[in-house]
Amino acid sequence: MPVLALAACLVLIPVACGIEAPERTQAEERERSTGYRGIFLADADPRPDFVLTDASGVPFDFRARTEGKLALLFFGYTYCPDVCPVHMASLAAVKRDLSADEQRRMVVVFVTADPRRDTPERLRSWLANFDGDFVGLRGTEAEADSLMLRLSLPAAIRDTAAGPDYAVGHPSQVIAFPPGDGFRVIYPFGTRQADWNHDLAKLLNP
Amino acid sequence: MTGLQWWCSAQTSAWTWSPRPFPGVWLLVALLVGMYWFLRRVADPAPDPSVGSRNRKTKWAWFGGVLALWTALDWPVGALAGYLASAHMLQYLLTALVAPPLLLLGVPDGAWRWLASRAGIVRLLRFLTHPLLALAIFQVILFYTHLPSVVDRLMVTPLGSFAIDTLWLGGGLIFWWPVVAPVPARPGFSYPLKMGYLFLSTVLNTMPYAFLTFGKLPFYGIYELAPPVGLLGARDDQQVAGLMMKVGGGLILWTAITIQFFLWYSREGEAEGPVPRA
Repeated sequence: MPVLALAACLVLIPVACGIEAPERTQAEERERSTGYRGIFLADADPRPDFVLTDASGVPFDFRARTEGKLALLFFGYTYCPDVCPVHMASLAAVKRDLSADEQRRMVVVFVTADPRRDTPERLRSWLANFDGDFVGLRGTEAEADSLMLRLSLPAAIRDTAAGPDYAVGHPSQVIAFPPGDGFRVIYPFGTRQADWNHDLAKLLNP
Repeated sequence: MTGLQWWCSAQTSAWTWSPRPFPGVWLLVALLVGMYWFLRRVADPAPDPSVGSRNRKTKWAWFGGVLALWTALDWPVGALAGYLASAHMLQYLLTALVAPPLLLLGVPDGAWRWLASRAGIVRLLRFLTHPLLALAIFQVILFYTHLPSVVDRLMVTPLGSFAIDTLWLGGGLIFWWPVVAPVPARPGFSYPLKMGYLFLSTVLNTMPYAFLTFGKLPFYGIYELAPPVGLLGARDDQQVAGLMMKVGGGLILWTAITIQFFLWYSREGEAEGPVPRA
């Protein structure tokens, strides 16, 4: 019966093809060479030493407060329509997958590149949308830019002439400083939660 | 600022509630409206006046189908389908499960008679819409058009997005054809078999539903990395999409099963005739 044969073939094609041929992403290619899906930088400088003010107005010594922990540092702004909320949402989601102990050994630090609009209150409430433990830091624009440059990142571009809803150009990668330092892993925009899950397990449990 | 697109597709710019035009969708809607006029005036130039009520029903069904398609493909649902997996699922439900049976029910009787007189087309339809083949075609389309690698590749361009929508509409028409369409006649495909056919499809769509609802991580890169819309995270959005597929799809299919049951019941009653008085 040709109809039955054709119907069976149609249904069996996906099974015969193995449901879905896995697509090798750039991240998975990196994993093959370095073990990490992020961009692995060997022999990197230790985590930077800087002090900025957190969202409660208290000075936050980055090196001292994150020592011995996995620190994930990101520069962005709360009015960002795309990159910042996606990164923060991904980090919050994958953090919830970790054990309580692993969560305690990880710090997400968000440094605002737009301190003019990102008031401490706004910074706190915006980050709380994702995870109440995420640390929001602010300094002056010059301090934020200088820190970005120290980390070999481009400084922020603030298009303030465009009016009150101006956009801010800022680095789109998250920098991971593992507990023992010695290397860094860079996570560009486009890093999937699956990639984060894979790498966080390695970074937290070397 | 996003330029004019002829068909909606995934965007990297932030979502705004400012309406955007999609000329391709408007053209499709205009074509479907024109097609109804053609079916009524050309294929059925002298309709039987005694079937006026039936003609009104077909008109409502046809324009209901057009409305479902228009809602699915135009702003805001069509545009949101580039940002949210749940909106994409709503689009699927409307395009593949709601619009096709309404469009088929909306075809005027005269057009069916015209079609029945074309032996070649009827032969092709008899093969293509054989229930087994129709179910297989629809399930394969459902499966492939929900694969992450396919969605991530196609949804980023208007042409790719159009291809998915066309497959859904075409697959939906093939799937619903043996249940709804009177041509080709399938006397062997009785009401109980139609109910079984529809029930089987509710079972078969459990796989993609489970895949979406119980998946730990977001499957679709375009939705995981899309600029956020509201506070719905990528994982929640995916779960909502899965539930919509199961609950929304199930509701539509079970409604159709119920209708088939009552049609069967009333037909059986007619065959038995009036109950003799004691």
